[in-house]
Amino acid sequence: MIKSIKKTMLIGVAALTLAACSSKDEESDTASATASTELEGSVLIDGSGTVYPLMAKLAETYMVEEQEGVSVEVSRAGTSAGFKKFLVKDGTDFNDASRKIKDEESQAAEDAEIEVKELKLALDGLTFVVNKDNDWVDQLTPEQLISIFKADSDVTKWSDLDPSWPDEEIKAMGPNENHGTYEFFYEKVLEEQDLKPSVNLQQDYSTLVTLVSEDKNGIAFFGYGYYAGNQEKLQAVPVDFGEGPVEPSLETIAEDGKYATFTRPVFTYLNVGHAEDKPQVLDYAKYVLENANKMAGETGFAPIPESESKENLDFLNTLSDK
Amino acid sequence: MLHTRQPSSPSRIRFRLLADRAAKLVFGAAALFGIVIMGILLARITSEGLSWLSLDFLTGRFSTSPEKAGIMGAVLGTFWLLAVVVPVTMIVGIGSAVYLELYSKNGKIRTFIQTNIANLAGVPSIVYGILGLTVFVRVLGFGSVVLAGGLTLSLLILPIVIVAAQEALRSVPSQLGDASYALGGSKWQTIQSVILPVALPSIMTGAILALSRAIGETAPLVVLGIPALLIPFPGGILDRFTVLPMQIYYWTLDAALVADYAHLAAAASIVLLISLFLLNGSAIYLRNKYSMKA
Repeated sequence: MIKSIKKTMLIGVAALTLAACSSKDEESDTASATASTELEGSVLIDGSGTVYPLMAKLAETYMVEEQEGVSVEVSRAGTSAGFKKFLVKDGTDFNDASRKIKDEESQAAEDAEIEVKELKLALDGLTFVVNKDNDWVDQLTPEQLISIFKADSDVTKWSDLDPSWPDEEIKAMGPNENHGTYEFFYEKVLEEQDLKPSVNLQQDYSTLVTLVSEDKNGIAFFGYGYYAGNQEKLQAVPVDFGEGPVEPSLETIAEDGKYATFTRPVFTYLNVGHAEDKPQVLDYAKYVLENANKMAGETGFAPIPESESKENLDFLNTLSDK
Repeated sequence: MLHTRQPSSPSRIRFRLLADRAAKLVFGAAALFGIVIMGILLARITSEGLSWLSLDFLTGRFSTSPEKAGIMGAVLGTFWLLAVVVPVTMIVGIGSAVYLELYSKNGKIRTFIQTNIANLAGVPSIVYGILGLTVFVRVLGFGSVVLAGGLTLSLLILPIVIVAAQEALRSVPSQLGDASYALGGSKWQTIQSVILPVALPSIMTGAILALSRAIGETAPLVVLGIPALLIPFPGGILDRFTVLPMQIYYWTLDAALVADYAHLAAAASIVLLISLFLLNGSAIYLRNKYSMKA
């Protein structure tokens, strides 16, 4: 019996040693390389859950088709939570964001001596969804939407919006403060007016989809992609920006589309220092800019004009010349 | 002394019989509850996931396309995690149990350690995650690698392993140790060649049950920052990793985007459940086999 204890320990020690050896060769990612050579090492990405599907698709195709030796790892803590991991020494290489970087975050970057470059990836339409059985809402104006969510308003029932609508409580929901989607809504739509305390704020988009699809009086907002994948469970609310109701779609949320008022760009922020030090980070950054438009559609985003990615690409090319 | 108790009236007796039957019903329902829930769970995940189980799924790499996605990365992640958790919990767990049961004297220090271990066993797993993030990932600078995850999970299950090992050591008949001393054996010789071998099956049973808990944990690993997309297989304990429960968690989240992810989550749940049944089964087998000999 004592032999089996010794055996267990031996196996354990052997495993530790083996593991220590095998991972050493992966740490040497300092080899300088040009874009065409085989790269290795890892690229760490965190941030927005809204941007995640697009970034995950890009990362997978990059690893499968371009650089098999590079491990691109994508997490999804949310834009704000992601920035906290990005703006520290030895933090992540990229932070996906569904809003622009805030002043205090730029300040934090300066304090930590991190040079940050904003890379615009695609366009997303803030989509308001209601239950499939909701047969009364055929369109809403931005003002009506604001009155549903803001604290300082008398609208609590559907009948408060239109007397012919049911005399039932509106169940308003949305993503919580960790999400750039929340902040875009709060800053750009509500113009920083407080939300009703009754608004149900959730961490996960999947929860919102379930909640609205099960509650006839539910209404929630999130990125277009989450609606696009759930069209059989939810219906999008057409919004009347003054020229008749517009339903969000890949065409209307595009640059200068009719839904543009509720359209926002999504970004990824690059740690420029990391891109200069690690060739795989720079190479991946270029790949992202060159291919984001191709993969935007299938993940529920509208493409951005070529000229904008071109500008950022030129910037990245100056880095590789250094 | 006078007999004060009156003979029971027939209606009292009927009431008691009724209460008896009601109690049986209530407790029977309570016992059934677990089985029913288990049945619903199994029925649901098999109906959702069984048709997605295939060799390609088991051996494939992670992918964002549901039909191409596999779980080998997560399985290997769990394997490397165990390569850390097993030695650490065995050495530290059995070591502390031996010290507490066989070396330390009854006293304040022993009570102090014992109380602490009991308290640690009640700490929520997410708190261990925060501890792991601070100590292993940040301060010691390991990053979110297998080693950091393994040490975190080791801390999580150590109290369970220690308590189980203590119970096992305590149940070794004292005559065995006394006989060894009578033959002139030293304390370490006695522990090493008499007490530990007798206690080992029960220690293993406890340890395996604790390990199966470690394999199923998600909360501490979420805090450590396990990536949602990780394609290369982990090749050692200093590599970044993901594990089955994390994969299930992320696929469940993403079912909101692509409905087929729900099937992947269910299929991965089947794999996780089967491995946990096997582990728990082996613990029960060990216990039965050796308790009969004793």
